[in-house]
Amino acid sequence: MGNWLVNLRDWVDARLPIVRTWNTHMGAYYAPKNFNFWYFFGVLSLLVLVNQLLTGIWLTMNYVPSQEEAFASVEYIMRDVDYGWILRYMHSTGASAFFIVIYLHMFRALIYGSYKQPRELIWIFGMLIFVVLMAEAFMGYVLPWGQMSYWGAQVIISLFGAIPYVGEALVEWFRGDYLISGITLNRFFALHVVALPIVLLALVVLHLLALHEVGSNNPDGVDIKKHKDEKGIPLDGVAFHPYYTVHDLQAIAVFLFIFCFIMFFMPEVGGLFLEAPNFEIANPLKTPEHIAPVWYFTPYYSVLRAIPDKFWGFVFFAASVAIPFLLPWLDRSPVKSIRYRGIFTKIALVVFISSFIILGVLGVWAPTDSRTLLARICSVLYFSFFLFMPIWTTLETTKPVPDRVTTKGGMGVFGSLGVLALILALAIIPLKAVAAESAFDCGQIPCAEVDFDLTDTDSLQSGSALFVNYCMGCHSAKYMRWGRLADDLGIPESIAKEHLILGNDTKFGALMNISMTEGYAKKVFGGAPPDLTLAARARSPEWLYTYLNSFYLDPSRPYGVNNLVFKDVGMPHVLLDLQGDQLCRPAIAIAANGGIKRDENGEPLEDSYSDCGRVVAGEAEGSLNPEEYQEAMYDLVNFMTYMAEPSAVKRERMGISVLLFIAVFFVFAFLLNREYWKDIDH
Amino acid sequence: MSNDGTNTGRRRFLTAATSAVAAAGAVGIAVPFLGSWNPSAKAKAAGAPVKFDAGKMEPGQLVRVEWRGQPVFVIRRTQAQIDSLIENDGDLKDPESLASSQPTYVDSRNRAVKSEFLVLVGLCTHLGCSPKYIKKLDSAAPDASWNGGFFCACHGSKFDMAGRVYKGVPASENLVVPPYTYETDSLMIIGVDGENA
Repeated sequence: MGNWLVNLRDWVDARLPIVRTWNTHMGAYYAPKNFNFWYFFGVLSLLVLVNQLLTGIWLTMNYVPSQEEAFASVEYIMRDVDYGWILRYMHSTGASAFFIVIYLHMFRALIYGSYKQPRELIWIFGMLIFVVLMAEAFMGYVLPWGQMSYWGAQVIISLFGAIPYVGEALVEWFRGDYLISGITLNRFFALHVVALPIVLLALVVLHLLALHEVGSNNPDGVDIKKHKDEKGIPLDGVAFHPYYTVHDLQAIAVFLFIFCFIMFFMPEVGGLFLEAPNFEIANPLKTPEHIAPVWYFTPYYSVLRAIPDKFWGFVFFAASVAIPFLLPWLDRSPVKSIRYRGIFTKIALVVFISSFIILGVLGVWAPTDSRTLLARICSVLYFSFFLFMPIWTTLETTKPVPDRVTTKGGMGVFGSLGVLALILALAIIPLKAVAAESAFDCGQIPCAEVDFDLTDTDSLQSGSALFVNYCMGCHSAKYMRWGRLADDLGIPESIAKEHLILGNDTKFGALMNISMTEGYAKKVFGGAPPDLTLAARARSPEWLYTYLNSFYLDPSRPYGVNNLVFKDVGMPHVLLDLQGDQLCRPAIAIAANGGIKRDENGEPLEDSYSDCGRVVAGEAEGSLNPEEYQEAMYDLVNFMTYMAEPSAVKRERMGISVLLFIAVFFVFAFLLNREYWKDIDH
Repeated sequence: MSNDGTNTGRRRFLTAATSAVAAAGAVGIAVPFLGSWNPSAKAKAAGAPVKFDAGKMEPGQLVRVEWRGQPVFVIRRTQAQIDSLIENDGDLKDPESLASSQPTYVDSRNRAVKSEFLVLVGLCTHLGCSPKYIKKLDSAAPDASWNGGFFCACHGSKFDMAGRVYKGVPASENLVVPPYTYETDSLMIIGVDGENA
């Protein structure tokens, strides 16, 4: 058997250089033995690339790239395709993870001077990968065809309109239409799944070939090829395989643990990885209140917003992405690694990273005057880092570089954490100063704090009945299936058919459509009532709960009611008979110390400047008392939270086993690595 | 670097153990990729059981009912057609449907729950064309002794009035009987096994 395999290998090797290729890149590729934490991110970015390719291929099997179907097909993947939600979350989490590992990989190059001679080409290829990746991520974000997909594409494509003379024509050509439309979506799909991945793979191959030609840099920035043994093997090198394969295995385990934790327990990461407005279908007539690109674009986006001119904004935006290309020629220092550089480099680097983080955070937030000022300061610092680099790298005094690599060099874990704390402090303090946000989360009032419980089947069942009876007169839930709902909530098919499912001929497995057509609704209400399948994700469960509790009588409105959370809402209070009349009263006055102002009897005082800030019971009582009504609303919103992501409970349950498994894998990878490295002085 | 103190046995064991855990992980990762190819909830809803009322059918009539996107033949057999089945036995490959696909609750010779109504998946067991229903003495009969049945024009397979395949034709198995049950005397649900199954 073994002999047979060897023969096969030799047969192939005589015709294709597999042994030589293996040796060049793995078995006899000698990497410096003093790689540290920062050297894990190259391998991790390859891992994420494979993840993106595989899950991407699998997503295309069910995704439909058309204006009409794209949004629904993503929900189809999330709900109807077996394990579809896993594949989608792997891809969406992978997109952000890709940028995290790439940014850390670039930071490594920055601190150890890995872009310097003779590795300039590796850096250029790496930067090209980064730029292509940005295009790839941008186009991928358009595909789900949600509100953020649409308006993000609108903003980014409009940017090119700033180019003099040809800008507008270019934008139109890019879109293939007079607005972002299904035509644009189709070409983005083709680019995202075919063209750019091919370019990306080619660049990754070039990046690695160039690296393996000149050899890896290391934390000391010294050349290990200067000292070789009699066989020509660098004295300070170890074979990539097995030494670094087992070494990287531990890092892969740790990375997968964090990746899976995010994927299974917080796939949206509070709106950073998946933005809430993207759970609403694209609407070319209505921009979301606050639009922001996904977090990995925000530093550059902040630069764009900081410039008070469309053309120059575009120029500086493009320059902020492109300027790192020049690093190999801007850096005039005689040494590579930060370990042997002077104080100027260290200060510049800390300030640069802090401004980059500040720009990133500001890009997520809505702009205010003070934030724009901070963004301008940080933009200047960002560009200064590059533009003045030739000066300070020439001026500073460097330390002597050792002849051989060191194994106990650097600042150690605590030193690194100290610098991290310094960078974060420098980023957080200015951000705190401009953070104050006056607006409430729920329109004119703060959101109620409620804990929803997706395992409370009784509550979900009664919520589903309320939803079908009170909401589905006008609102559809067209991405959800009746059968799934009944199965998940433990409602037998016969009972569901009799009491829940609308329409006599509706199949058990049918989508939760309503009989009112969109055209009719537009005529009657002036606009079709939105589909509610994803309402709890597009807003938030707390928002929905507060909204449903905040209707009040307002004779000036067409339906005689208004809402504190959603001002001038175009919806009647369908639960009026249950709740009874509600009136709006001035808000309770808040004293300067944050407490409630009270009169001499201890009764709370109303704020004389507000005429409507809270809802109180009116005269006509509803069929439910206030506690019963609130409980009913709890059930309703609990159900809507379930409906927005039916796999949520399963997702978390599965996540625990996955994390436990990865922990076990880490133990083995750790022991294996220790066994291999125990004889190597590192 | 020195390899003098290398403990090969320990290395081998740890390599094998780590590989085994990684292989188990790879199998785990493969599950969602492979599992996502199963029929989705949409496909299952579209392929849900269908109801058909055979009560108004003429004797000898065939109706095509769509189930899972396939043609299902429902034929109201005449008494003469049922009686003639036994005559075919000698010419058939599998007269008792021993090697053919059908629910356990259908009769193996006339291949129906109620002999009057024959229910078959209308796709040839050879390569999937849909055969034609040709009655006895029809001018389109493939041969003179034709006793009535199904003829597949694609590759010439012949089946009798119970969907049983004749000798000397490319198909090897009798036409498939789908799961079905009766809700009332003539109202059948195709796609669901009967309760007494």
